[in-house]
Amino acid sequence: MTCSADDIQALSRSRRQVFLGLFIAIAVSLHAFESLLPTPVPWLRLGLANIMTLLALYLYDGRAAWSVSLARVGIGALLLGRIFGPGFWLALVGTLFATSAMIIVYRVAGRRLSPIGISAIGAGGHALGQILAARLLVVQHAAIWQVLPFFMLFTLFAGVLTGWLAALLLEELREHPAFQQANGALTNQ
Amino acid sequence: MPWNRPLIIGLLLVVLTLTWWRLQPDGEEVRRSRILMGTVVEIMAAGQSSKTLEAAVEAAFAEMERLDKLLSRYNTDSEVSRLSQSTSGGEVSLPTVEVLTLGLEISRKSGGAFDMTLGKLKTLWAFDKEAPTLPNAAELSAALSGVGPKALSLEGQQLRKASPQLQLDLGGIAKGYAVDRAIAILRQHGVANAAVNAGGDMYLLGQRQERAWRIGIQHPREEEGVLETVQISNRAVVTSGDYERFFEKDGVRYHHIFNPQTGMPARDCQSVTIVTDSVALGDALATAVFVLGPKAGLTLLEEFPQAEGLVVAADGSRHSSPGWTSYQVVP
Amino acid sequence: MKAPWHFMTGGDWLVVLLLLTSSLGGIVSIAAMSEGSRVLVTCGDELCFTAPLDQPRTLAIDGPLGQTKLVIDEQGARIVESPCPRKICVSMGVAKHTADLLACVPNRILVHIDGSSGKEVSYDLLSR
Repeated sequence: MTCSADDIQALSRSRRQVFLGLFIAIAVSLHAFESLLPTPVPWLRLGLANIMTLLALYLYDGRAAWSVSLARVGIGALLLGRIFGPGFWLALVGTLFATSAMIIVYRVAGRRLSPIGISAIGAGGHALGQILAARLLVVQHAAIWQVLPFFMLFTLFAGVLTGWLAALLLEELREHPAFQQANGALTNQ
Repeated sequence: MPWNRPLIIGLLLVVLTLTWWRLQPDGEEVRRSRILMGTVVEIMAAGQSSKTLEAAVEAAFAEMERLDKLLSRYNTDSEVSRLSQSTSGGEVSLPTVEVLTLGLEISRKSGGAFDMTLGKLKTLWAFDKEAPTLPNAAELSAALSGVGPKALSLEGQQLRKASPQLQLDLGGIAKGYAVDRAIAILRQHGVANAAVNAGGDMYLLGQRQERAWRIGIQHPREEEGVLETVQISNRAVVTSGDYERFFEKDGVRYHHIFNPQTGMPARDCQSVTIVTDSVALGDALATAVFVLGPKAGLTLLEEFPQAEGLVVAADGSRHSSPGWTSYQVVP
Repeated sequence: MKAPWHFMTGGDWLVVLLLLTSSLGGIVSIAAMSEGSRVLVTCGDELCFTAPLDQPRTLAIDGPLGQTKLVIDEQGARIVESPCPRKICVSMGVAKHTADLLACVPNRILVHIDGSSGKEVSYDLLSR
């Protein structure tokens, strides 16, 4: 059986699909697990599922990151019965902001930032998006913005944590043959 | 996955549209206070153009000042003072006719509980002085001579006093009338949402930022407390209470709402709040109901289907007219 | 297991520092805002005096009739003395919530509370 370039592309694509599916599943589980933990303030979570988004971003590309993050929000909400509830919209807008920010900064900064920095930015974007959504949809007056700095401080810590975990994972996974691109080059931008 | 990008863009567009829609400007609001009629009068007006609003508010204040000069007992040049000085009465201008007509109607219907001839009595009690004293029985009966619902009669623009020494005091209705006129001026200028508040007697025009105005009613005994909050739109709210102006002597509180028959402060209520379609009516009814007490007062209100009231009796119990619940904020 | 800073680049530190200072800065400015309630005194038509509400103080304000004395303490602001004949201003009580007003009409003095302190009220206006 000859291995043509097409086959390798096809193999690579299906491998990508499989792994992203796996990432999504893990992300949803992480999210569901986190939701079980008690928190002082509702919706204040570490965002461990973001680790999978970071992995998708670094091991593949921006589109993969979008797939993982959006699917996680949608499936997570379906699973937990929160689809289209207020929490869902907050998470969705937060994720939109976070993922956009991470991808843009990743493309612009390249090697100058590690997953920790990218994750921190993503966490900040998530906080901003959530407060914005809360202001528009849930809380009807501008006082909600006063919560933002506290929120950002917390998410900064969470972002560094998840970024660190992602970095640890990436160190192992990048070398693994399963994540080589079709053209054999390592992915990193 | 080729559907990613359009989906992302679509979602971002949704968010942006939501943001733009929600952050539409709420329009302008103008808020001005001025000292008038012995109290602080505040006018809040909302609309699209702050220039129109400012002009409207200025015009409203000007009208209130004009009426203050005309109707105030404390202004020696006012019509009211002139009528008080004269022996038999005299000619009155149209605004005064309106006020007197309404006042006489309430005076009659309340059996004299609302009275516009208490000028001498009020001077006697002199709440304005630094050290008010309790008048004695002789002073009281002198101040009350000739007082009563039959003391004044109005024919066209002629006011007749039954006794020459009667002193007019329109304080219990003139402030309300001035607020009503201010609202009319605002309306003439095209303002649809506003509040005119003269020391707690107010009219709420239209809405406050797309919902009804929420008016708190002062608790008569707790300084920071609110009895109730009511939802008001295009209505007047007037409260009369024994806590507004008073002095205490030997542990007894003497306040400024008098029973015209005894000349002493009315004792049956702590506070009365009336919601109706004009502040002048509300002003007069609040005084009348206060003097009459909860039972007779609420009976009087039955004759005014457009008015609802909340009475806090002397013992602290609350009584309200049947339609009062329509104004209460549902918790 | 490698510590976080093993991975962090100079850029990372910059990002973290930026986010940290902006959120701390935000927190500080919010704390400053909620204590910002002030007493504004108008003499006639113009603003003649401002003072913070949270510092005890006695103000002597000049008007056409003489001096009106305003006391600011932990209860709020109130007029204790005034040269007007009827002393209605003295009986107005204490002002401490936003938009509370005290006034001495004859002496043309208006005292106004500005800022966002005190209780959150659930109504637009108070009928008393």
